[in-house]
Amino acid sequence: MSTLDPVGDAALVPAAGPVRGPDAPAAPRGSGRLTVEAFLRNRRALVGLGLVVVVALFCFLGPLLYRTDQITVRLDLADLSPSGENPLGTDASGYDVLGRLMTGGQSSLELGFAVALTTTVFGTLYGAAAGFVGGVVDAVMMRVIDTFLAVPSIVLLLMMVSMFTPTLWGIVLLLSALSWLSSARLVRGEVLTLRTREFVQAARMMGGTGRRIVLRHLVPNAAGVIIVSGTFTIADSILTLSALSFLGLGLPPPHADWGSMLSAGLNSLYDGYWWQVYPAAAILIVTVVAFNLIGDAVHDALDSRSPNP
Amino acid sequence: MPPLLEVRNLSTHIRTRRGVVRAVDDVSFTLEAGETLGLVGESGCGKSMTGLSVMGLLPPGGSVLAGSSVKLDGRELVGLPERELRRIRGNDIAMVFQDPMTSLDPTKTIGHQVAESVLLHRGCTRAEAADRATEVLGLVGLPHPRERLDDYPHQLSGGLRQRVLIAMALANEPRVLIADEPTTALDVTIQAQILALLADLRSRLDMAVVLITHDMGVTAGHTDRVNVMYAGRIAESTGTDRLFRGMRHPYTQSLLASVPRLDQDPERQLPTIPGMPPDLTAPPAGCRFADRCAYATDRCREEEPELTGPEGPQGHRFACWHPTDGPLPADATVVTPRPAAAPPAVAERPLLEARDLVREFPVRGGGLVGLGGRTGRGGRRVVHALSGVSLSLAPGETFGLVGESGCGKTTLGRVLVGLDRPDSGSVTLDGAELGRLRGRDLRRHRRDLQMMFQDPFSSLDPRMRVGSILREPLQIQGIGTATEQKARVAELLAEVGLPARSAELFPHEFSGGQRQRIGLARALALTPKLIVADEPVSALDVSVRAQVLNLMNRLQAAHDLSYVVISHDLAVVRYLADRIGVMYLGRMVEVGTADDIHLRAAHPYTAGLLEAVPVPDPELERAKRGSGITGELPSPVDPPSGCRFRTRCPLAQERCAEETPALRAFGPHHTAACHFPLQTPLTEPAPAAAAAADGTGA
Amino acid sequence: MTAFLIRRIGQAIVVVLGVMVLTFVMIHLVPGSAARATLGTRATAERIAIFNAANGLDRPLAAQFWTYVQQAAQGNFGISYSQQQPVSTLIVQRLPRDGLLLGLSTLLALAVAVPMGIFQAVRRGRVADHVFTVVSFVLYSMPDFFFALVLVAIFSVQLHLLPSQAPQAETVGGILADPRALVLPVVTLTLGSLAGLSRYMRSSALTTLAQDYVRVARAKGLPERLVLSRHVLRNSLLPVITVLGLSAPSIVAGAVIAESVFNYPGMGLLFFQAATSKDYPIMLGSTLVVGVATVLGSLFADIAYSLLDPRIRHVDA
Repeated sequence: MSTLDPVGDAALVPAAGPVRGPDAPAAPRGSGRLTVEAFLRNRRALVGLGLVVVVALFCFLGPLLYRTDQITVRLDLADLSPSGENPLGTDASGYDVLGRLMTGGQSSLELGFAVALTTTVFGTLYGAAAGFVGGVVDAVMMRVIDTFLAVPSIVLLLMMVSMFTPTLWGIVLLLSALSWLSSARLVRGEVLTLRTREFVQAARMMGGTGRRIVLRHLVPNAAGVIIVSGTFTIADSILTLSALSFLGLGLPPPHADWGSMLSAGLNSLYDGYWWQVYPAAAILIVTVVAFNLIGDAVHDALDSRSPNP
Repeated sequence: MPPLLEVRNLSTHIRTRRGVVRAVDDVSFTLEAGETLGLVGESGCGKSMTGLSVMGLLPPGGSVLAGSSVKLDGRELVGLPERELRRIRGNDIAMVFQDPMTSLDPTKTIGHQVAESVLLHRGCTRAEAADRATEVLGLVGLPHPRERLDDYPHQLSGGLRQRVLIAMALANEPRVLIADEPTTALDVTIQAQILALLADLRSRLDMAVVLITHDMGVTAGHTDRVNVMYAGRIAESTGTDRLFRGMRHPYTQSLLASVPRLDQDPERQLPTIPGMPPDLTAPPAGCRFADRCAYATDRCREEEPELTGPEGPQGHRFACWHPTDGPLPADATVVTPRPAAAPPAVAERPLLEARDLVREFPVRGGGLVGLGGRTGRGGRRVVHALSGVSLSLAPGETFGLVGESGCGKTTLGRVLVGLDRPDSGSVTLDGAELGRLRGRDLRRHRRDLQMMFQDPFSSLDPRMRVGSILREPLQIQGIGTATEQKARVAELLAEVGLPARSAELFPHEFSGGQRQRIGLARALALTPKLIVADEPVSALDVSVRAQVLNLMNRLQAAHDLSYVVISHDLAVVRYLADRIGVMYLGRMVEVGTADDIHLRAAHPYTAGLLEAVPVPDPELERAKRGSGITGELPSPVDPPSGCRFRTRCPLAQERCAEETPALRAFGPHHTAACHFPLQTPLTEPAPAAAAAADGTGA
Repeated sequence: MTAFLIRRIGQAIVVVLGVMVLTFVMIHLVPGSAARATLGTRATAERIAIFNAANGLDRPLAAQFWTYVQQAAQGNFGISYSQQQPVSTLIVQRLPRDGLLLGLSTLLALAVAVPMGIFQAVRRGRVADHVFTVVSFVLYSMPDFFFALVLVAIFSVQLHLLPSQAPQAETVGGILADPRALVLPVVTLTLGSLAGLSRYMRSSALTTLAQDYVRVARAKGLPERLVLSRHVLRNSLLPVITVLGLSAPSIVAGAVIAESVFNYPGMGLLFFQAATSKDYPIMLGSTLVVGVATVLGSLFADIAYSLLDPRIRHVDA
């Protein structure tokens, strides 16, 4: 309905209750309020958000309630099946699987967030600059992105990881260096369309500088797209990290993440030690699904917001 | 014998997230062969939904309520299985939609798309279907239909696409044609052609036509009977002549009164309808128009009036407790004398002066040699948006710019305010040449030049509160302290008639008309000398349009503003402007006072354009013969040599192709560029005199 | 269209050069030096010195890059030190196998994703749409390797229906001769790209369904089946083609995982083995080849797009 024209029957459903008459009461409402409302009405988004909160509580508050030793290797306790003592059994090194899911989750989540944050900041600035300046600068900046996108990130990752011994922050840096590309592209596309909008021209008419237009008008209006790409980046980083772990090139040993638990467990899948595989797989998949749900829902909410496509 | 189409108690509901919208509520009407019924009203009145309900093509969530009846030749269509309905759609009842640019499948040839419905309903061979497609495409006036069968939609202009869509609808000679705003997206000259075509086809094929429109002028000239709809119901229903001369519903009365007409007295405020239509998820208990009606009483707010009165072709039905009788008297509104702006020749110094502006845009993506199309000189193809345009403007004056889309009027507006730079020529404001200004100086001069935009949805930053939007120009220009800026915002809101608390709200919380007011307030914030308004009201409904036009007039008087008003709507320009410039393919072909243009047009293009504007008066409208200007606007990439209008001009001769006509004077402020003008020029072409009269030499 | 193609090919050439710069930089990033990259990490200082002199590594970087470009253009990527064969030979052996595996699974993914996306769009908001949405989200969020191993656990270990090893034959014909062994790798890759593609197809079809020309087609009296096949399908497929071109890197990434799980003798496995044995010539060579393949992939996608979209095919002002 929102895509119809201004003269047809589109106004059948007025946008969000326009102000009626000079004395109509209406509480002031928040900026992205309409977007937030659309988001909250979306059941997928709520499910996603709920899951993320539950998983985060589990990983960060869980260890305070459920204390386990995740440092000492206890081969005598290896591969125990679930019991009252170890609700999800133990792994090949004798660590309690439930407790390890918590600490492993901390690395996975922290890493995902760290990558998403650096990616988003850098990608946004890069994309906004390319889109706003346009012309040759834009063309050169976009070819740089095309170049990096042409080589699959796993290929570059494997190569880098095989050259240098990975550290936690090294991996964050590497993943960020490879995932800012798509967010830069998204932001650029958004800025290109926003740039032609009349409110941007109005700001120029007032004598607004390029910096002001980018920071006050373009970036805030691209916020939705930026959030979407950020959430998807979290999900993708967690997945990529797990793939690296599987290939034996993940986080260095003292660290654990869901991916490394999963790939370690897979070795013993045929031995019937299911508890070493499925819980890690489940929580990993649930978390990634949750972030994807949120991203998808924000995406939809943005679509329904714009009155003129 | 039953009527051809009979709609009884049609009610349509649409489920949306916000609730159930009662889009159509208890609508009844009949239609006979050879007759055109107008469904008229503003956005959201349910006119399109009525058409879609008849077709059984409601959007997702839409449903026709039980008890509704739509009969074609006595056969009930409501509740018919989809299979049966499909046999009727496109065969017995066909529909033409509003936007020809999006209504054709971009990946299929037009021949295929027209033949598709023939194949479907007639069960003939492909060759026969193609022949039929050629035949109907010829019928709707597509030149060389046989050769164009393999064209894709993007290769045709908007007007031709609408012809293709009509051909598609008519391919099986339907008995009822529903035309939903068939000309709203088109220029007036093309609109006149399409409407004439529809009228001609109706009588030739003996069709019944439902013409859905918001345009009272189109209604006047092209309908036999009219249903005026308001908030999902029929407010009034009668013959077209009677409706315009003796309407009984106050809504019809104020709707007609608020349309600016070509013969409008510019000193008189347009009557407006206050407020806006009710929310159809929860329609009010009584008369739906009561809140906005000058005659409303308590009874209107409590009891819903039924549509009563004699039915039939001579009947007159209306739903009102306190019916009026006839149009609003012409002297019923306030006169606001406008300060007569000093004509440019008299003014000691013009406020704005543009000289010989040229602006060309490269054709995107098609600039390399070896393309199917012709390549221009040097291989580079350009769009000639402005080819030597001059104009001048006195302080306090309003200059109107009219022309078909693609004539360069928007580019001219952007160049005037400095949003775009001309390739050559100059714009001088108060003695300072804009093209020479840089940095700080340019920024300071921005204050004097502001712009009001067309699209009320895109012109305000959706992420900023109205208060910040209005403060932004002051912040950028460093005017006043924070407290002073806030006070100024309150002042601006009051000026455009919005409550002070609007500053706390976001643009999406306002209606289109209110947003245009905010846009105007923002333009006013820097107390400019000139505001360029590009189609300031074309996105608004008629009743809201009048409010904004009145406001623009009032602010001009209060602030001694100059306006350049760009519009495709001649009546709007006529209402606002002191002088009017007519543009055609990048050239100014005629400039004169509003009266010069309307009463003494010298250029055949101006005359044709005026002829094409539909007038909300059935008698005048039907008296028109011919459809004004024929043909389509040529491509601005390859404009015709000599006089650019010659390809569509009834008076064109060889000389027009060889020699570009110069502007000649026809009156003290009246110039036109034509070799064979409709008026006698004052003197023989003397460039100096012409330039002086145009104001460029002052 | 010619202009469009010329511009597009120009861009592709620039990007290929960019990829070369990237791999060239990598060579110089290799711990030690380019000599170690070629000779291996255990090479002696003497051999490195000889290598440097022989290969002109003491020359300016620009000159070295030019040499590198020339060699790459001739298909000379050096000698693998773990397999003692020219890298180009190894790659040429494996490319057809990857063409088979990736082509098969991508076609299969498209064959399922296109109808699935359209079906979901038509049934938007109904139960079927939700079910498919959940399925594609879970598929999309599952690590490829886990997925592959679960398939092995079920179909090979538990049910003994399918072999857990991919065909080991040298030629494409040989691989095709053992179709049962091909099932699991192909299915893994198919499901990997299916989720994203079907989501995209769904949203593309939703956009198309809201277009005016679809309403016009219905107003002609066209049955819904024909509305979908004649007007919705092609128009919603267009943007998907572009996405397919852009997703070439993720398809390759999937191949690295799937090939190492199923021991499929393709480029992915070659690369993975090279990474674990630090065989830099192979890694750098195949990175370049993969990069070029990706660029070609999206170039072909754009060409296909311009052939299917008359608005680009007939540029006519």
